[in-house]
Amino acid sequence: METASQGRVQQHGIVGMSPGAYARVLIFFLAPAVLVYTLFSVYPLLDTIISSFYSKQNDGSYVYNGVANFVTLLTDPTWSAPFWNAFINNIKFFLIHMLVQNPIGLLLAALLSLPVLRFRTAYRTLIFMPTMLSVVIIGFTWQLILSPLWGIAKMFLQAFGLGFLFGPWLGEESTALITISLISVWQFVGIPMILIYTALLAIPDELIDAATVDGLNQFQAFFHVKLPLIWPTIGLVSVLTFVNNFNAFDLIYAMKGALAGPNFSADIMGTLFYRVFFGNQLQLGDVSMGATIATMMFLIILCGVMIYLFLIQRRLQRYAF
Amino acid sequence: MADVKIGNLHKSYGTVEVLKDINLQVEDGAFVVLVGPSGCGKSTLLRSIAGLEPITSGAISIGGRNVSDLAPAQREIAMVFQSYALYPHMNVENNMAFGLKFAGVPKAEIADRVNEAARILQLEPLLKRRPRELSGGQRQRVAIGRAIVRHPKVFLFDEPLSNLDAALRINTRVEIARLHKLLKATIVYVTHDQVEAMTLADKIVVMNKGRVEQVGKPLELYYRPANLFVARFIGSPAMNTLAATLDGKGKAAAVAGVSLPLPAAVSGTGEITIGFRPEHCSIGKTGIPARVELVERLGETGYVHARTADGAALLVEVKGDPGLAQGAEVRVAPAAGHLHLFDGEGVRLAGT
Repeated sequence: METASQGRVQQHGIVGMSPGAYARVLIFFLAPAVLVYTLFSVYPLLDTIISSFYSKQNDGSYVYNGVANFVTLLTDPTWSAPFWNAFINNIKFFLIHMLVQNPIGLLLAALLSLPVLRFRTAYRTLIFMPTMLSVVIIGFTWQLILSPLWGIAKMFLQAFGLGFLFGPWLGEESTALITISLISVWQFVGIPMILIYTALLAIPDELIDAATVDGLNQFQAFFHVKLPLIWPTIGLVSVLTFVNNFNAFDLIYAMKGALAGPNFSADIMGTLFYRVFFGNQLQLGDVSMGATIATMMFLIILCGVMIYLFLIQRRLQRYAF
Repeated sequence: MADVKIGNLHKSYGTVEVLKDINLQVEDGAFVVLVGPSGCGKSTLLRSIAGLEPITSGAISIGGRNVSDLAPAQREIAMVFQSYALYPHMNVENNMAFGLKFAGVPKAEIADRVNEAARILQLEPLLKRRPRELSGGQRQRVAIGRAIVRHPKVFLFDEPLSNLDAALRINTRVEIARLHKLLKATIVYVTHDQVEAMTLADKIVVMNKGRVEQVGKPLELYYRPANLFVARFIGSPAMNTLAATLDGKGKAAAVAGVSLPLPAAVSGTGEITIGFRPEHCSIGKTGIPARVELVERLGETGYVHARTADGAALLVEVKGDPGLAQGAEVRVAPAAGHLHLFDGEGVRLAGT
């Protein structure tokens, strides 16, 4: 609360500005963000959730039927089997990113921040490069690389006498999802790397000098001093990975089409939603069930982010240096 | 505690030589201050002693043991950093105990040492706090505590007071002097602030451009600076320096058109530089003619800024109000016995 020189108590606004003018200033600065966000984010989300409570009748009209769509999705075997398949696959997809992409990103960031490293900028740019390429190009290129007929991967392994290791990884049910996940890891490993690298750069050199005087080697200083200070960034990277993975669609669609074959073994929430909502081959598009799946995706992501915000982030301490 | 000997130390970054043939002896229990303008190499020298910077050639020994090739932790030193460098994710107690845990010191002894340091530095109520919950002065004390618990042979301080405000700086300065007496510690201390250097040091090392300019007791540097650099660097406000010409007999010097008698005959002739401190000269009837440009009145003392006819600046400290106006013509006379003479290279003339 600020006391104006005339003795009036002014609780809001800017000294010397009338309430009307202050309101206009507020609207001027807030309106663009509120409008754009409402139009392209809040409205589609609400409309999706509302659509999931209706079902299409034979005459083409939509009738409110409560949570019946959700019950169908989770209990009717024709719906629940693909749904749980996509859900489990999506979890695998996420776990591979968490266990491979983020640790490698951390390792690369740690290597990049080594004081003796030469060609630092070149490494950084090269590793980040795939992130900037189109997913379609990545998918197509890797399909060529991994092709059992003329793929360079096969010849490469054969050149080292390791040809027996090669398999049609994209074509087998047991390996398709893992292969696509690893391709996605390869493409996006630059993002955790850059985020963690930036966090590492913010740690003052004197802190590492102090640890050196305290008798820690570079390795110990990393684990006992640097790592605890970058947990908040690793937490952020994890939650970004989670949201991106559960919204993923493009790479699998680009490499395997909407059917995410073979036999739906690479099917994740995004591709399942696409087939149900827009229809695919003999399957007719179903707005209501599509919206139901989309709402489930929203709820899953919401749960994940809430767990992060309320259980994990509160225990992570941010540090200013 | 132990002594530190540095012999013929050189350090280069590529072709840039930052430390040039440093020779220095720090006696057991001495408080040695490295002082100099920024970029003079004083921090690099300190970091070389700590082992944080590799040296190009020469030797560093601590307590008679050559430590040139040892890791910092094996040199039995402790360092207090300018930014304090406390571990932000640990409380005060763990900050102090961290290094000892890695050194494999038994838990009971760690607790004893931490409690002792906390008692000496009055940190007991703060042991469970994190660094961000502490004030600048408290962080500084924790940083010193982290050094004390190591029971080092030598304490190294890298500009420890520069992040504190003026009042706290004076308090902490006194505190560090008290700790030095209490711990009987050997201390090497880096600062750019000559007041810190003068008040804390047993011995001051003045550095410039990677070289040691002079080593001596604080008052030795003040009364007998070995060269022009030290003469100008030590003392605040800085010493007046003027170009002069020695007469043939070496008994007087011509300065700005007047002849100043010298306290003792000096050998040599030609162009020299004379210097005298603002507090060692007075305004009177004889002396160097100058015109007053500005008078600063501080109450107890006043500073008269004047300029000679050939453009050299002079500063005279006077008691009380000098009662002079801008533009007044005055004569400035150096006090007998406080005239410093330097040859053409800026080295103090022999016999003065």
